[in-house]
Amino acid sequence: MATIKDINFLYTIAPLAVIVFIIGLGVLLLNQHFQKNLANQRLKQEELKNIHQNDLLRTSIQVQEEERRSIAQDLHDELGSILSIMRMQLVLLEQQHSSLQTTRQLSEKAMAAIRSISHQLMPPQLEAFGLIKTLATVTSQINDSGQISIHLTTPSPITNLPWPVSLGLYRILMELINNTIKHADAKQINIDLTLNNDYLSCRYSDDGKGLPDNNHNIGLGHKGIEGRVSALDGKLEMGNCPTGGFYAIIELPVTKHQHAK
Amino acid sequence: MNFPEIVIILSHLPILLAVVYTASIYRQLRPELKVFSWFIFFSGLIQFASLACWFARKNNMPLLHLYVAGGLLLIAWFYSTVLSGFISKKVIWSVALAFLLFTTINSLFIQPVHTFNSYALTIESVLIVILALFTFTFFYNNIVKETSGRDIKSLTWINSGLFVYYSSDLLIFYFGAIITQTLSTSLNQYTWVFHSFFSIVMYTCFIIGLWQRSKT
Repeated sequence: MATIKDINFLYTIAPLAVIVFIIGLGVLLLNQHFQKNLANQRLKQEELKNIHQNDLLRTSIQVQEEERRSIAQDLHDELGSILSIMRMQLVLLEQQHSSLQTTRQLSEKAMAAIRSISHQLMPPQLEAFGLIKTLATVTSQINDSGQISIHLTTPSPITNLPWPVSLGLYRILMELINNTIKHADAKQINIDLTLNNDYLSCRYSDDGKGLPDNNHNIGLGHKGIEGRVSALDGKLEMGNCPTGGFYAIIELPVTKHQHAK
Repeated sequence: MNFPEIVIILSHLPILLAVVYTASIYRQLRPELKVFSWFIFFSGLIQFASLACWFARKNNMPLLHLYVAGGLLLIAWFYSTVLSGFISKKVIWSVALAFLLFTTINSLFIQPVHTFNSYALTIESVLIVILALFTFTFFYNNIVKETSGRDIKSLTWINSGLFVYYSSDLLIFYFGAIITQTLSTSLNQYTWVFHSFFSIVMYTCFIIGLWQRSKT
């Protein structure tokens, strides 16, 4: 009978070492597979998080727009009509007391201010005539002021845009025009709108100073633009033109929002 | 009845306890623990049948062949449920099916059913040790803690039990062929005392794991 001493060392220990190696290798391979799947899970989680954030943003913009619409209507319908009656009475009183002329003028200014605020909050022509006609009116008003010249080009007819896209692009363009007028010291603005397949593309550019080089902290206005584009699942590119001035390219999906109100 | 025989018989007590306890709480268990309870029932059935054969002085080796094949399939099912979403089920099941094929060939042609199937046992232990070791690292991941945090404590106890038993088994069964050939019968029995000790440890871990399950 053989004793324990007879057990061949090589035949016993070498396979055991192989087994330990196999175990280590197995754990390593499983871990690699796990890390790969984990990265996929993380991507999925990020995707879900982004979708959720976009939903929140969209809802918040919708609520904001509803609130604006309601305030604009209240200002125009209620406060506007009260001031109109007040003005009429002031005109009557003015015939008896000429000193009321200033009061009447103030009431007219108040009415004009209310009208202007209410239109800025929710332009009535946007709903009635659509984005292109509203933009044409706005640019023509600005051009009439002589401060700056805006060229609006729409090579193909753009009709029946979904309301969120019309309103979103209107707000974005108003913000961009406002920024150009306030900060860019520009003389001309070009706005090109095209409808390609399912996307509404807008190229905005001015001949002003452009964005400052150290513009790391973007302002609230630009954040608002980014938020609106993101909420509409669109794409945004902003920067300085090689020839000087600022440019922004906005692409918004149209069919995705076709049934939205 | 000598000391090793008493220890071997007593080692069946935690098995009985685990089977009864699992049966009593089966309905309250979450899916992965429900899957694991099938391993406990299967293992309990084979262990007691094997003990009965031992008392009847009948060769209980065929039961061991069955236990190895069925046990690994049930444990693979358990791990594929626990690691679901992070480790592809295909990976675990293809390994398990490849093992089933190997153990069938082994039992038919290499180590017949009335002999000790040390090859299959060694490979089974290697596979379970790999899964158990990986599962320890798996439970440390934050995303895993977030998704299955409630049951991690319970599953860690079960995983520890499987790791302790199968890593010790690996050594016992690896040296099994040498032990049975080279040592005397009385010394041979002491290796089964060690085996019984680790079996007690494993079933105790199972009971603790099931006891610490999430009760919400």
